[in-house]
Amino acid sequence: MAKATIGTETGAILPASGASRFRDGAGLSRFLLPLGLALVVLGAWQFYVTVSQIPSVILPSPVSIARYIAARYDILLMHAIPTTLESAAGFLLALLLGVAIAILITYSTMAREALYPNLIFFQLIPKIALAPLFIIWLGVGSQSRIAFSVFIAFFPVVIATAAGLLSVDRGMLRLCRSLTATEWQVFTHVRFPMALPHIFSGMKIAITLAIIGVIIGEFITAQAGLGYLIIFATARADTEVSMAAIVVLCICGLLLYGLVALAETIANRFYSADSR
Amino acid sequence: MLSLAPKADVGPIETALVSVAGVQKTYFTRQAPIQAVASASVDVARGEFVSLLGPSGCGKSTLLMMIAGLERPTAGSIMLAGAPVAAPRRDIGIIFQDATLLPWKSALENVLFPVRILKLPIEAYRERAHELLKMVGLAGFEHKKPGELSGGMRQRVAICRALIHDPEILLMDEPFSALDAITRDQMNVALSEILETYRKTVIFVTHSIREAAFLSDRVVVMGGRPSTIILDKAMPFPRPRRFEIEETPEFTEICRELRLTIEAAHGHGQPASGGTGSGKLAGAGASNIE
Ligand SMILES: Nc1ncnc2c1ncn2[C@@H]1O[C@H](COP(=O)(O)OP(=O)(O)OP(=O)(O)O)[C@@H](O)[C@H]1O
Ligand SMILES: [Mg+2]
Repeated sequence: MAKATIGTETGAILPASGASRFRDGAGLSRFLLPLGLALVVLGAWQFYVTVSQIPSVILPSPVSIARYIAARYDILLMHAIPTTLESAAGFLLALLLGVAIAILITYSTMAREALYPNLIFFQLIPKIALAPLFIIWLGVGSQSRIAFSVFIAFFPVVIATAAGLLSVDRGMLRLCRSLTATEWQVFTHVRFPMALPHIFSGMKIAITLAIIGVIIGEFITAQAGLGYLIIFATARADTEVSMAAIVVLCICGLLLYGLVALAETIANRFYSADSR
Repeated sequence: MLSLAPKADVGPIETALVSVAGVQKTYFTRQAPIQAVASASVDVARGEFVSLLGPSGCGKSTLLMMIAGLERPTAGSIMLAGAPVAAPRRDIGIIFQDATLLPWKSALENVLFPVRILKLPIEAYRERAHELLKMVGLAGFEHKKPGELSGGMRQRVAICRALIHDPEILLMDEPFSALDAITRDQMNVALSEILETYRKTVIFVTHSIREAAFLSDRVVVMGGRPSTIILDKAMPFPRPRRFEIEETPEFTEICRELRLTIEAAHGHGQPASGGTGSGKLAGAGASNIE
């Protein structure tokens, strides 16, 4: 289980840094090195399982997990689809809500003073503890999982976006004012593009949190989804299935994260300080 | 309007284009109110280059911002072409100490920024933007982004940006003070060349006596406690101005007079007070006048 968690994390981080490294043109070793290390760890794992004869209920070998994935990809895919779609929905709603609240905070002092301390306070609640309440309020359907996913994912978007929108150089604002720019023009020409890198870093955190939200929801309620599969398989001591589900989850997470990174690359074509 | 030909219609000095009369400005802060400008009256004629010179904290920027319509005077009046200034106007171009360019836009796009904000036809101004950049020696750098330009180049882009919509008046707040001495001298020559092509009415804030004397038709010295205008002097040097004038005894004599005026108003190294409760001005005083 610990191994799987680490896998999720590296999986979440790799694409972005990988992409920027390619841009920097810093050579293949930067890419080969982490890959090599991962292969060494998998090799050691395989070796240990083979030599120690440890029962597969406790630790299945990488090869047997891979074999299971290859054999039963249809079942895994069936469970991966709702998890991925709900995560994407949770993420998109968190993005909209987060940016909207950030704009409110930026433009209204009253909203800022009223909302900000409450948002911080909310952050201090271990949000996972509230997951069962969402089920009570919204039922066992996907809406409660998506709502919970939004609930844990929107905060970093708010903080990052507000920081970006407020970080605008005062000189630039003065220039806009001297040109009789409207508030809308300042937003579209200056504030928003200036905030984009912040927004994307918020989005990258939000996408991983959105997935976590959905998985927790599935742990509690679902009849489908990778979270459900993990709980179900583990309860039946089917560790191989559970780990296969975790691997597929990593791939789904990577895919979603990759889409955010892709969106960032596209935005960078227009809003990067570097030359194309 | 888009023609690059020198403006021949700037005739002899007429009535003042910019008229500052009895202007006073007090900032009401959380602590004590700060009187930034006690009383200022200046007239600037069409096509004239006037420098505001004075120690740090004497209210030069404040006065300039009031002329730009970015600050309101507490008392007195500011008229622009006969109309009172109530808000920012599009016939003014401003250049600040920092270039304040948009980092993701090319030099050319930054120059065109006012055109976009003012919703003027971009295509009609593109040619002019190219010509302006060429004029300041940035031909070939049109598609570079600010991060790839030197400080002096960025400031030249800012100058082109201020000129793109052909404003009547150019307000410059220490545009070159962040640059090194060599670049600064080059920029001074470049600026006077630009102004020979595009005659503008310029109000130029600076700490530098030499810069003020070199560029201006008139130098207005601000200072005293509280701050007022203590000298308004015409610079008798012929145009076009070249470096050589700085070596004439006449130039040295004028710089000396300006320096003595400032020193007489402030003593050596004493801060220019912005009014009550502003004794904490960092490094202010006649000593920072170059
Ligand atoms: N927005 C503001 N709020 C309160 N006080 C201000 C504000 N702007 C300027 N002041 C005060 O007004 C006085 C004049 O400031 P100003 O910036 O006009 O001086 P300056 O001559 O341009 O100085 P410098 O050469 O250092 O730029 C100072 O005492 C300053 O502290
Ligand atoms: Mg100033």
